[in-house]
Amino acid sequence: MSVQSHELHLLTGAYAVDALTGDELEEFEKHLQRCASCTEEVQGLQETAARLGMTTAIEPPSWMRQQVLTAAGRTRQLPPSAGRLLDRGTHRRAARLRRSLPKSVAAVAMAAAIVVLAVLQVNTRNQLEQTQQANGNVAAVLAGGHIETSSTTVGGSVTAVISPRNREAIITTADMPTPADAKVYQLWVISASGARSVGLLPGNGSGGVTSPVLASDLKSGDRLGITVEPAGGTRQPTTTPIVLLSANT
Amino acid sequence: MNLPPTGSPGQQPVEPGHSEEHGQDLPGLLAKVARGDHAAFEAVYDQLAAQVYGVARKVLRDPAQSEEVAQEVMLDVWRSASRFDSSRGSAIAWVMTIAHRRAVDRVRSENASSAREQKLAVEQVSGEDVFELVDSALDRQRVRRCMGSLTTLQAESIKLAYYQGYTYPEVAGVLGVALGTVKTRIRDGLIRMRDCMGVT
Repeated sequence: MSVQSHELHLLTGAYAVDALTGDELEEFEKHLQRCASCTEEVQGLQETAARLGMTTAIEPPSWMRQQVLTAAGRTRQLPPSAGRLLDRGTHRRAARLRRSLPKSVAAVAMAAAIVVLAVLQVNTRNQLEQTQQANGNVAAVLAGGHIETSSTTVGGSVTAVISPRNREAIITTADMPTPADAKVYQLWVISASGARSVGLLPGNGSGGVTSPVLASDLKSGDRLGITVEPAGGTRQPTTTPIVLLSANT
Repeated sequence: MNLPPTGSPGQQPVEPGHSEEHGQDLPGLLAKVARGDHAAFEAVYDQLAAQVYGVARKVLRDPAQSEEVAQEVMLDVWRSASRFDSSRGSAIAWVMTIAHRRAVDRVRSENASSAREQKLAVEQVSGEDVFELVDSALDRQRVRRCMGSLTTLQAESIKLAYYQGYTYPEVAGVLGVALGTVKTRIRDGLIRMRDCMGVT
């Protein structure tokens, strides 16, 4: 064993607790591929480190479970072999889904309205009262609303029907690609003082149109923005919005 | 990100030891997950979410970031279940390795850290803190007992690296000892813990 590889062998512990970075990490991983005794030692030390981690177990918030299971349903799995976590389907899928804008604002608004009604009708069976309430809200927004629409930087478009009287907006999207890597679209109301989350956009329904989302308490000068965020969403936007709409009431 | 290392050809498989005691047949469940079985994934989630979230919380502290990381890790498990190989270690170690790396990656991308923050952390890792949130009393006792058998420098080095997500040069900086010393203390300490806990 050369001096150098002896030195590298001493890094098994630091590697097992992820304390190596940069060039040293790369060099050590290369070394691992041809050093069976190092690999075996690393394995045992990783098992040991895992025990350290398990003593910290703490129940995650209960909402996380459904988020993860739903995200899994939308996430392509990797085939065996090949070394790295990489979703090769992502780019192709994005390209396939990228389509031209709908022909007119009216068409999008019509699609939005149809989705609103369809969604509400599905709910009706179980939640008649709630539905009537929601129906009232939607009808009120639609009645006095004006329409804002814009294409997004990832493809597809967003339409908002904005009601000045109710200070509310109904937002739907059309033909937006499913985000890669189990990420999600998150809707924000953005004002001079910052952004507040309206919620995550639902996945594409029939015809590539999402179910409507209601944003309330709009103020003059507010804008609506959508960002791509990690599964479950974030408290504040972490990426550049893919679209911004005036929500001027 | 890095994956757990691949074994070299001709290497003897290492026994997973007592690692699967926390759940029913994790490797079997992962094999089903690899075939797209959602029910199996639910079972895996129920067995591992607390451990995954716990290590993220330990390293990151911030609940919102820990939630994000924990979700990413569980999705990694879903996505790459076919890459789990029981001849190269236990299922729980595979998942915890992914979880710890994700958490540490997040720490390193967040703070191109100030030395000041690092000084503060020394106090945070000492004492009972490490064991405050415990899954299994038996495991806690075993880890505590074995941690107690280490020298102070070994134990502090391991805790700073694993629970704080420090690089070993950062550990050396915080403890005021030479790089080479930390490197060997982490290794010696982990080996002693491995033998003490009867892993592999």
